[in-house]
Amino acid sequence: MLFNSFPFLAFFAVLAASYYAIPHRHRWILLLGASLYFYAASKSNYVLLLLGITLVAYLAGLSIGASADRRKRTAILAAAVVAVLGALFVFKYYDFFAGSLDALIADVWPASARLRLPRPGLVVAAGLSFYTFSCVSYLADVYAGRLPPERHLGHFALYVAFFPKLLAGPIERARPFLSQLQQPVSFSGAAIASGLQLMLWGLFKKVVIADRLAPFVDAAYRQPELSSVADLALATYFFAFQLYCDFSGYSDIAIGAAKVLGIDLIENFRRPYFSTSVREFWSQRWHLSLTAWFRDYMYIPLGGNQGSQLRLSFNLMAVFLVSGLWHGANWTFVVWGGLNGLYLVVSLMTRRARKKVAGLVRLPAGLGSCLRGLLTFHLVLVTWVFFRAASLADATAILARVSRSAASLPRLIRARVTSGEILLSLALIGVLLVVEALDETRPFWERVRARPLFVRWALYYALLFSLIVLGTWKLQQFVYMQF
Amino acid sequence: MFPEATEVTTFLRRAMAFVLVGLMLYLGLYAASEYLIYKHARRNRFYMVKTAPSARYDHVVLGASHAAALDFEDMNARLEQMTGSRILNLSIVGAGITVNRLMLEYFLAGHQTTDVVYVVDSFAFYSREWNEDRLQDARLFYRAPFDPALARLLLRSQATRLVALDYIVGFSRINNPDRFKPDVSEEEATRFGRTYRPIRQIDQQRTGYLYPAKVDGPAVPRGRYLAEFEDLLRYGKSRNVRFVVIKPPIPQRIYRMIPGEGSFDAALKEILSRQGVGFHDFSLVGNDERFFYDTDHLNRAGVLNFFEHYLKGTLTSLARGAS
Repeated sequence: MLFNSFPFLAFFAVLAASYYAIPHRHRWILLLGASLYFYAASKSNYVLLLLGITLVAYLAGLSIGASADRRKRTAILAAAVVAVLGALFVFKYYDFFAGSLDALIADVWPASARLRLPRPGLVVAAGLSFYTFSCVSYLADVYAGRLPPERHLGHFALYVAFFPKLLAGPIERARPFLSQLQQPVSFSGAAIASGLQLMLWGLFKKVVIADRLAPFVDAAYRQPELSSVADLALATYFFAFQLYCDFSGYSDIAIGAAKVLGIDLIENFRRPYFSTSVREFWSQRWHLSLTAWFRDYMYIPLGGNQGSQLRLSFNLMAVFLVSGLWHGANWTFVVWGGLNGLYLVVSLMTRRARKKVAGLVRLPAGLGSCLRGLLTFHLVLVTWVFFRAASLADATAILARVSRSAASLPRLIRARVTSGEILLSLALIGVLLVVEALDETRPFWERVRARPLFVRWALYYALLFSLIVLGTWKLQQFVYMQF
Repeated sequence: MFPEATEVTTFLRRAMAFVLVGLMLYLGLYAASEYLIYKHARRNRFYMVKTAPSARYDHVVLGASHAAALDFEDMNARLEQMTGSRILNLSIVGAGITVNRLMLEYFLAGHQTTDVVYVVDSFAFYSREWNEDRLQDARLFYRAPFDPALARLLLRSQATRLVALDYIVGFSRINNPDRFKPDVSEEEATRFGRTYRPIRQIDQQRTGYLYPAKVDGPAVPRGRYLAEFEDLLRYGKSRNVRFVVIKPPIPQRIYRMIPGEGSFDAALKEILSRQGVGFHDFSLVGNDERFFYDTDHLNRAGVLNFFEHYLKGTLTSLARGAS
């Protein structure tokens, strides 16, 4: 069941009405049942896997909490993390590693060509990367004493399976989520309206913008050798916004749906294309719940900012390479992660030099940040080519062709922007950027709430009717659901 | 704990007002989409029935894409001129028996015809894709103006309840991304005048796309669709409509590639003789390579040649038989 489908909207309306009609103490049952139904209805045959991983994490959490022996606690933590991440490895990465290993062995020892590792051909369970990370963060927090183990199996299962965040995050931490389940939620018209606003905006981003851009991007990237340079460049720009609107749209719907049910989830995006450095892009604006996860459970345990510059660079590269692999079992994602890590390492190493240059060339503040923003956006854009391309060969070929025509690109793109569809897509990206620019200085929905009723309603109707008139309702899956 | 009654009441009251205003605005959109349909629709068959200039026709043509080509450009008007009869072509690309049955029932709900010329394509008997699934394709109704008769027909079958709901509320018509574009297929607009140069790989792709690998396997519903076809013939009889079944010309090389065509023809002929329906097999006549704009569809010259030498005679003798 996709967020951008009528069955989901009907499911959610019935769920929200039932939620407020029953007493607080029974609501977790309703939410857990609805979450499992949602998961089962999302063409996922892996409900048992979800329940199994939940049970392992739950029991391991209790055992860690019950034991005072540090070695025993460490052993339980290690075993549970291996079990949870092992499931992730088997379902998501095994085929990729087996294929890569087979190719490597065949290169080194051609006689072994007939020997192949078995391929079970497992399909990645929907949301597996997200809920396994939720379980690992819970176990690590219990182990570190930051969180007491959850004794209520139902509450814990709901933490793992809560439907708004189950398939594509945000990767919620256990403490804030579980503590909210203890608090009675009373009906609040304002909170519900605020949740619905977010859902509406998220749907607009997904159905009106992302899914409109998707066919153009798909066509250009399907056979890049047959696409023109202008199409490849335009498709890459479009992909930046398609991915952002798709993923942040999902997050907005998830956060909004949870808000309607009186549960706050963490923010996942803060207008990432307004970043003025790659560091800012990652640490403050893009996929914040995943970045925070890697920071707390990998980067800091590796040593974080402590140690030599070399050590710091190693930590950064390790985190980004693993983060790339987390996104997908393909070398394109590894290179994507590596490239982002490299940006940060170079930025770290050139910090002093850049400060000196900035001291010498004094640009007006607005112009400086605008230029830095454009540079950051284009650096990120290069990484998106690897993220989107089907193979490394495709990605490098696209970059080579576009860079060879860099000087004539503005003219080529202008000449390509002729169809009504492309103009409409550009106009919608413009609308998005205006809203985000307003959001930079004061939250957009706070601005809206300060307006008279008729202005607010006019905006809601405009969004609603643009969903109906301009929306692409072909039930396109959210990009991040494949991870 | 139950929520505060006053807050709930205020919220519900406001939500209701929001929905009511929204419904009124939606009605405005609905009216605008109907206006655009009447402005831009041309080939949509439901639109053609709704706006048909005559209540009575001599021949109604049913079938899939091979029959649709007989209505490209001014071909139907030329056929009317040649035969001196009123003809309405209601064939739909990719339409099997189920879709054609709906089309005929909709037509007969408000009009009459002496004959139905059913242009048979065997591929349409092999898959749900051309039947139940095709019927659920909202694009069929993008340019179908609202008509209670069509809504009733769609509501009648379990398989089309969702389509009926969509049709009644008009969502797909309002959401139609081609709302301002002319209602003419790409084939008609750009390819009808061309001549196709055969490429074996494309021929294989085409037959592979239309036909299953095994046409006589247990998973192939040919028997069911043949039974539905026979039921359609009986339905025609009950409405005093005479059927004539034809097979359109197709290139010999494609004909040879179609799996199980012999057994299909035998089964079809058995049904037609049981129901006393005439059959004209034009598969291998007027099928020179120069008469096709793609692997298997007649181009302008092919259609005119087919009309002049084959279909005209069939329709005229039908008309004579009727009088």
